[in-house]
Amino acid sequence: MALVKTLANLKSVQILTNKLAALSVVQQNGMSMYPPYYINPIFKKDAQVELFENGEAQKLAHIPTKAALIDQTCSIYYDDDIRLFRNYIMRSGRKSLARELLDKAFEKVKRSQLEKFHKAKTEEDKNKIVLDPREVFHMAVDNCKPVLFLTPIKRGGVKYQVPVPITEKKSQFLSMKWLIEAATDKERTVHFPEKLAYELIDASNNTGRVVKRKQDLHRQCEANRAYAHYRWS
Amino acid sequence: MLRKFNARLLQLSNNAACTQLVSKLPLCTSAPIEDANKKVVSKAMKAYLERAKEHDEFMAQKNLEFQIGKRHLANMMGENPETFTQEDVDNAISYLFPSGLFEKKARPLMKPPEEVFPQRKAAEFDLMGRPHHFLFYTGKPNFYKLLYDIVERVNECNRYEDAMNRKSIQRDPNLVLEMSGYQWLDKDALEKQCVEGINDKEYNNFKDAMERLTKLPYSYKVKDFIMEYSRPLMMQTKTHDVPELQYDKDGKAFITTYECLRKRARADVTVSSPGTGKITINGEGINYFDDIHCREQLLFPLIFTNLHKNVDVVANVEGGGPAGQAGAIRWGIAWSLRSFVDQEIVEKMRIAGLLTRDYRIRERKKPGQAGARKKFTWKKR
Repeated sequence: MALVKTLANLKSVQILTNKLAALSVVQQNGMSMYPPYYINPIFKKDAQVELFENGEAQKLAHIPTKAALIDQTCSIYYDDDIRLFRNYIMRSGRKSLARELLDKAFEKVKRSQLEKFHKAKTEEDKNKIVLDPREVFHMAVDNCKPVLFLTPIKRGGVKYQVPVPITEKKSQFLSMKWLIEAATDKERTVHFPEKLAYELIDASNNTGRVVKRKQDLHRQCEANRAYAHYRWS
Repeated sequence: MLRKFNARLLQLSNNAACTQLVSKLPLCTSAPIEDANKKVVSKAMKAYLERAKEHDEFMAQKNLEFQIGKRHLANMMGENPETFTQEDVDNAISYLFPSGLFEKKARPLMKPPEEVFPQRKAAEFDLMGRPHHFLFYTGKPNFYKLLYDIVERVNECNRYEDAMNRKSIQRDPNLVLEMSGYQWLDKDALEKQCVEGINDKEYNNFKDAMERLTKLPYSYKVKDFIMEYSRPLMMQTKTHDVPELQYDKDGKAFITTYECLRKRARADVTVSSPGTGKITINGEGINYFDDIHCREQLLFPLIFTNLHKNVDVVANVEGGGPAGQAGAIRWGIAWSLRSFVDQEIVEKMRIAGLLTRDYRIRERKKPGQAGARKKFTWKKR
């Protein structure tokens, strides 16, 4: 992940050379407050070590960086995917509420995993239980990622649901979105963090509603395989 | 005879090209007149000679005015007019006509006429009206000659690469031309150097061509040529001076940064060392902020430099909301910490985006819309 980010940053290095051209015509970065040649900050310590080892840092010496965002730190508790997930949970810009909900959910995950851990009789069973809620989260997201997707394509006046492969980014988005949707779909007496924790644990064990949703989608794609050629013809 | 004269003119214009492609008009004016009676002189040349004469007279008069003015100025300032230099002139002008104008070009100035009046090209054609330059009819001979030169260098590098390949000699990877610290000559400077107007498209062509030349594996062979058209960039860490540490009565080192701004918040931050990592904001501890991500932001520069246990932070902040205040203090801490760490870590902090002032602010609401971008619900009637 970090490597991908540094590569993206290096790409923006080349933009500097076209700086004047970009400024003279229409600004290419939309409504951004920063000039187009500013690069994104590389704020994680390990990413920086890598940068200085392979000598790329020298190339950045003359290029200004954007300020690190309000939710980016070099702390060990920082995680890119969790930051993304938190932002997907967020409604109407209430970031602290989103953070509170997610932290509560992680706490619930930790508690229920610990409970399971202490209930387990044998050493073997105990080793199987993942206690770190972050790890549980990553496993859950990975397990819910679809590889195919149905997209409507119109051929001869009829709309066909055509299975298409999806990108890594989109599949991650769908997986996270489904997890949040599953957690929001609940009774009034149950709180969001509780339900989210439940869904996360379920998904990390490759069971539960979200994984089933993914499998349903895959099954439907399989059923519609006859339409696959509509992608290109 | 004519051929000889042409050769001389050519030589003159070549010399002119060497001296930054610019030459003063008088270079060519004195020679042609004696031969002019014998040979047919084209109308263009005649007009040119007239213009040249006019220009010479004009410049001579301006020069005279400047010299007299300079002497007057020297007398006014009570200095010796003989030893009054241009630097003294500038100082005297800024003393006598103090100007608060932001634009430097708009302030009063007194410079030698050669610098004030735009330079003009020397004759580009001979007495018969036949142009010297093979690219005369492009309208911008100097600029297109430059592009032509770049292509020459590209071919040269390619030929060299072929020769090396034939001999199967590997290129020394250490000899790569590193251009990351350089920027191409900007449009105005290039225009001045060519004494020709250049539009954006042409300037981009120039840059693309130079880029293509530098990307070649053996471009270091033509380093001098490339450097002629590039200017070194300033190291980003050196754009702002790092202040010296101050010491209080107890011999404690400290730095205070005023005007730490973010969104609507404004803070002043004092970082002192040695310390224990105590953070004080408006008299309260880190609990001043209820949200965890705001507290995280305060700690970001401290953790990044591994100084979170060695320095104390005192901040006064007002205005804005919690996120803006935390951002303002974060910038203040990072800005102050530069004095406590070495140059390498300052550079790391810069790459981490800690030393950039975050200029983003709330976007204004627009009339006819619900918000900055949001539109009202569309109703047909």
